[in-house]
Amino acid sequence: MKSSESMASALSPELMNAARRCVELARKKGADEAEAYVENGRNLDVTAREGAVETVKQSESMGLGLRVFQGRKLGFGSTSDLRADRLEPFVERVLALAKVTAQDENNRLPAADDLRGGYATQDTFDPEVAKLPMDWFVARSIEVEKIAMAYDKRIKTMNSAGAGRYIASWGVVGSSGAEASAASTYVWIVASPYAEDENGAGQTGWAYDTRCHLGEMMSVDAIGREAGKRTVDMLGAQKIPSGNMPVVFHPEMTKGFMQGLIGALNGDLVFKKSSFLHDRLGQGIASPLVTIAEEPNRPRGTSSTPFDGEGVPTRNKTLVDKGTLTTFLYDTYTASKAGAKSTGNAARSYGSLPSIGTFNLRWTPGETKAADLFAGIERGLFVTRMMGRGVNVVTGDYSRGAQGFLIEKGAITTPVQEITVAAHMNDMMRAIDAVGDDLDTRGGTWAPSIRFGELTVSGK
Amino acid sequence: MNDPTEMDRRQFMATGAVVTAAAAMVPGVVAAQSLGGPGKPLLDEAVVKRVLEAAMSRGGDYADVFAQDSVSTSFSLEENKVRSAQVGYGAGVGVRVLVGQKIGYAFCEGFDEQRLIETAKAASYIADAKPGQIARIGAHDAVAEINRARVAPEDASAAARAELLLRGNEAAHGFDQRVAQVMGAYFDTESLITIANTDGVFATDRRLLHRLHFSVIAQGESDRRTGFYGGGGRNGFEFFEEFSPEDAAREAARQATAQLGAIDAPVGEQVVVLANGWSGILLHEAVGHGLEADFIRKGTSLYTGKVGQKVASDLCTVIDEGVIPGRRGSLAIDDEGIATQRKVLIENGILRGYMVDRQNARLMGLSSTGSGRRESFRHYVMPRMTNTYLAPGKDKPEDIISSVKSGFYAKNFGGGQVDISNGNFVFEVAEGYLIENGELTRPVKGATLIGVGPEVLRQVSMVGDDPKLDPGIGTCGKNGQSVPVGVGLPHVRIDKLTVGGASKPMAGMV
Repeated sequence: MKSSESMASALSPELMNAARRCVELARKKGADEAEAYVENGRNLDVTAREGAVETVKQSESMGLGLRVFQGRKLGFGSTSDLRADRLEPFVERVLALAKVTAQDENNRLPAADDLRGGYATQDTFDPEVAKLPMDWFVARSIEVEKIAMAYDKRIKTMNSAGAGRYIASWGVVGSSGAEASAASTYVWIVASPYAEDENGAGQTGWAYDTRCHLGEMMSVDAIGREAGKRTVDMLGAQKIPSGNMPVVFHPEMTKGFMQGLIGALNGDLVFKKSSFLHDRLGQGIASPLVTIAEEPNRPRGTSSTPFDGEGVPTRNKTLVDKGTLTTFLYDTYTASKAGAKSTGNAARSYGSLPSIGTFNLRWTPGETKAADLFAGIERGLFVTRMMGRGVNVVTGDYSRGAQGFLIEKGAITTPVQEITVAAHMNDMMRAIDAVGDDLDTRGGTWAPSIRFGELTVSGK
Repeated sequence: MNDPTEMDRRQFMATGAVVTAAAAMVPGVVAAQSLGGPGKPLLDEAVVKRVLEAAMSRGGDYADVFAQDSVSTSFSLEENKVRSAQVGYGAGVGVRVLVGQKIGYAFCEGFDEQRLIETAKAASYIADAKPGQIARIGAHDAVAEINRARVAPEDASAAARAELLLRGNEAAHGFDQRVAQVMGAYFDTESLITIANTDGVFATDRRLLHRLHFSVIAQGESDRRTGFYGGGGRNGFEFFEEFSPEDAAREAARQATAQLGAIDAPVGEQVVVLANGWSGILLHEAVGHGLEADFIRKGTSLYTGKVGQKVASDLCTVIDEGVIPGRRGSLAIDDEGIATQRKVLIENGILRGYMVDRQNARLMGLSSTGSGRRESFRHYVMPRMTNTYLAPGKDKPEDIISSVKSGFYAKNFGGGQVDISNGNFVFEVAEGYLIENGELTRPVKGATLIGVGPEVLRQVSMVGDDPKLDPGIGTCGKNGQSVPVGVGLPHVRIDKLTVGGASKPMAGMV
């Protein structure tokens, strides 16, 4: 059950062997079930300052996480010391720890049935990215800094300008039959300028792109110019009076909003009635303009994975369909508690137990031209940046600091800052009255601009 | 604070099964039960010398080695039982080379000398000259033990640690029948670090850290509210003889039940009173980050060039102090081997100085203030806070509250964030009340406070005589690195601060 990526690239046989060995040892020493999750990562991160290299960071790391169930009690450990003679004491320590936890019938690995169906191919490993020399990153870092600095003379310096690469491989071995591995490459370019107006008041902004495949990257020029524009456009930002008004979210704000919303679909929170959406399955939770999908099998997606953290095959699925909530998200443990099936949403790193997460979200773009979202707004707010955590998934309260622009008579006018936007998520989801056609496909989470008919803005 | 560019990049790497180099947990080498005393270095002098030579093989102004061997143990509680027990081992070495404002950095797992040499050579990439000088490696320095422990957490039994959670669980459920869910987590880590550099520092420190917290969900007739409380520090397991898990869990339950029936927060600028203790997060966000030397050197902080100038009301004296015994942000030495200090950042409203690490000290012609910190050997050093607090004033807390005719009382907080460039900061109010005619009245939900750092400090008009540090739960994120910190504040009256909430603005406010 190997995915094709693992053939093309890079998870070392030593890591998979260590995973098999730990599972075997744990079983031999009394575990009912055992599972090992392994990762390897090679990182290169370059930044430039004033036309020269500023930082070069390089590393290779690897590690193994072992989960054991002994008498239906759960123990977990992680280590990066994979020397043969160190594995046995490590396994023993994990088994000993399991003794203090409570017995729980839901402590089990995915059953053979959950593992059926095969793993999709996602083309996330680009040999071109893996081969890029150091000079490529240095040159891009220097270039993106230069372009951003040249955008406007009010840009005084850079917070950062850089480029980097990550080569990741990961795999899972479970005593119930899971065995899989996969690999991805990532390349990124980022620029964050700092600008000052004539009074010395500062602003910062940023732009980036990140992809699995080199051929899909935005040009350095486009990234540098976008970063410059987003920074100087904020100069002169003022606080505005409080009021209720139409609010438009920039695609990056839609991404954060969507992630907060989807956090409430966590099957564990739902089971404990600790999500504000726990009793809303199959019901309308949002405006009919809202359709949200999870796409773990997206070709070349930066969060694509053929299998989840327990080896369960992942599948693309709709989470919110024209405003109706269509599914909650489960891993094996929470599915067992809720009497459901795992939806392949066990997310993890080798240092942690599986927890419920998503792989590539997508807010389906709408029909409205992005520029037309402002049309007809007498006085409103265009939000381009937010601060603070956002949604409380238990209560559904949403409250964040915001920056952006005032919309007056259908057009963007002056920049604003030091304000907050707040509402209850239920009201916000229903208040969405337009969805833009400007899908932003950077990173794993894809989203367009969206418009809310009315939200509470707090300022002066 | 979070650097937005860093967040963007991390968003894709931190999602799902994708491996992230900056994972929060630090796994690694299987260590013996407990690490020894602070005496013995992780790398011997000869190895350190060869690694530093490799680091300086292409030249450089400075190089250092940071070796770490740690073990972390944690337990979680949910649905009235201990759900999980976890252990994580982490061991490895980070090597850094500085040339002017260039930084070369690399790390590897484990202590194998050949890999250390390769790592050092990778770090030397940024240099391009003749081999640099290495001062003689100094004698191995003993480090002052400001954080004393009688029983290292790692030496307490697993059962004793897990028991803390069960005790708290029972107390929270016993507090009020509207308590619907209790979750808890216990975490401890023991870490041995050895730092050596080309200036002759060669030091080893043993660091302990523990934390216990509870979160509670209360179910009312028509709403659900949450509470959170916990504590910890850098001393031994005996901390939990004083710090009662029952009291901590009951405090989380009190917050959750007290918020049932809360009304939407009033919006707009108001008089705001901050409770003492954890509210110190306001200082951390509003001024602390802006006084970190990296932002100052790059000129991206609005406090750049303002030493000697008035940046706050006369009532404000802000201190960052790394030497308070046992506190979460306390360290004998920073991660560059320099003793931590008590630094007065702002004195009676006048800016006195910044928090400085070695690299920025060199580039700015300043002295390090012992502020160089890193999350682990996998991360590079940045100037960071330790325990940041506001010195007490003369006002009685009850006088501060009774001075307010109409305003907002912020008692407990969630997280906060700041934009260094324009000083905008936010923090979430986890427990807040209306103040009406000098008295706390109704609980308020979903409030966020937003302001501009220097402006809010100018609006401070009363400072309480009741200084208090937070109970030991704070973690600060910067450029993707998390480090434990402490914060503190007496009761404070702020004459004007924007409260963000979901209630309709009152007539006349628009």
